[in-house]
Amino acid sequence: MRLQTNGTLVSPHPNLYNKDVVRKHDPPLNIDEIVAKFRPIISFKVKKSIGAHTPEWEDVVNEVLINVIEKLEKSEFRGDSSIGTFIYTITSRRIIDYIRRKSNVLKYAPEPIPFSNPHQDVEDEERAEHMAKLLGQLKPKYKEVLFLYYYKDLSREEVAAHLNITPRRVSERVNYAQKLLRKMVIK
Amino acid sequence: MKECNYENRIDDYLLNRMTEEKKEMFEIHFFNCPDCFEKIEERNSLISVIKSKGNKIFHDQRKETETETETEGIRTQARARKLERKSVFEGLFSFLTPKQWTMAAISACALLVVFIGVAPNLKSPTPQFVMDSHSVRGDSLALLSPVKNTQTIPSEFRWDNLGEGVEYKIYLYKDNLLWSASTTGASISLPKDVKDLMKAGENYSWEVKAFSREGSLIAASNKVRFQIDSHL
Repeated sequence: MRLQTNGTLVSPHPNLYNKDVVRKHDPPLNIDEIVAKFRPIISFKVKKSIGAHTPEWEDVVNEVLINVIEKLEKSEFRGDSSIGTFIYTITSRRIIDYIRRKSNVLKYAPEPIPFSNPHQDVEDEERAEHMAKLLGQLKPKYKEVLFLYYYKDLSREEVAAHLNITPRRVSERVNYAQKLLRKMVIK
Repeated sequence: MKECNYENRIDDYLLNRMTEEKKEMFEIHFFNCPDCFEKIEERNSLISVIKSKGNKIFHDQRKETETETETEGIRTQARARKLERKSVFEGLFSFLTPKQWTMAAISACALLVVFIGVAPNLKSPTPQFVMDSHSVRGDSLALLSPVKNTQTIPSEFRWDNLGEGVEYKIYLYKDNLLWSASTTGASISLPKDVKDLMKAGENYSWEVKAFSREGSLIAASNKVRFQIDSHL
């Protein structure tokens, strides 16, 4: 089940231009824009909930988007909440449905062997390798914070105490390391 | 990019250090805040690279803290430092809770009042007189010493002198009569054998009766109780 995002299938629907939506979203959103904007957010939430290694995560995302479009077409979104919250609710429900369905299936069948997209994997792997290299070039001051905080999974306070700095300083160093990394990637 | 209150919770969310309730609030937020979502994605890729490639990136750091036990060490150290950070002043006061401090202060005040009000009286306790069973008509006889608790076993008993030609009879009691003697003076020494019978920590009482030359009772004292203090 793949969602086509070309203009013919999901054309901007007149319902989306009603006053309520316009009031909350200026300029008004059409379905293409909604899909483009929310696909990454929905994907992120779905992967975090069911695991990025679960091959069906993309199917769940598409189900969510189809559901969103259907509801928008039936004017079920009345602008009581923001479009983001509206989509969040649908996403959460779909994830719960998926988990329930999966636990039912598991009663009768073994879990299918996950097969992943090899191109995607290679791409991810290359990007991760590159980032790892850049991280290795950071000053020890930043590296030790990242090491203790993320790799050793210590709390902010524990890292702070170990390095004899304030917890606030820990966050500052992490944020600065991220900033440096961003610059290095752009170069 | 605008600053957002949720920004500093990104790590807690990604590292699963959030309650379900807070997690939901956070998720609703990033469904509505593109800036935060962008930062979350960026931080997420940083964390996943660190988690998967950490052993390569941090090979120098890992030499320092290689084993899990050392990580435990860091944790304990962190806890210890947290405790250390409390100032000496704070440490002094955390010895007791505020409630306990109040109680201590009240107790101290009460003790002070007791000490100031009662302590001077302890120095000279009023003589305790026990009325004898038989009442005597005539003058009363005042006993002078000992009339209060003493530190030592008294060697002499003294009383008011009623004048010439009076014979005094002294009675010393423990539970029963311990010793009795007669004299014409206003004092009498305690014989050594009686003294030996008396012990510290015990209660004694004594009285004196005055007789005329003819042998008739002319005055009697009250019975005075005294104790020889036990610390001797």
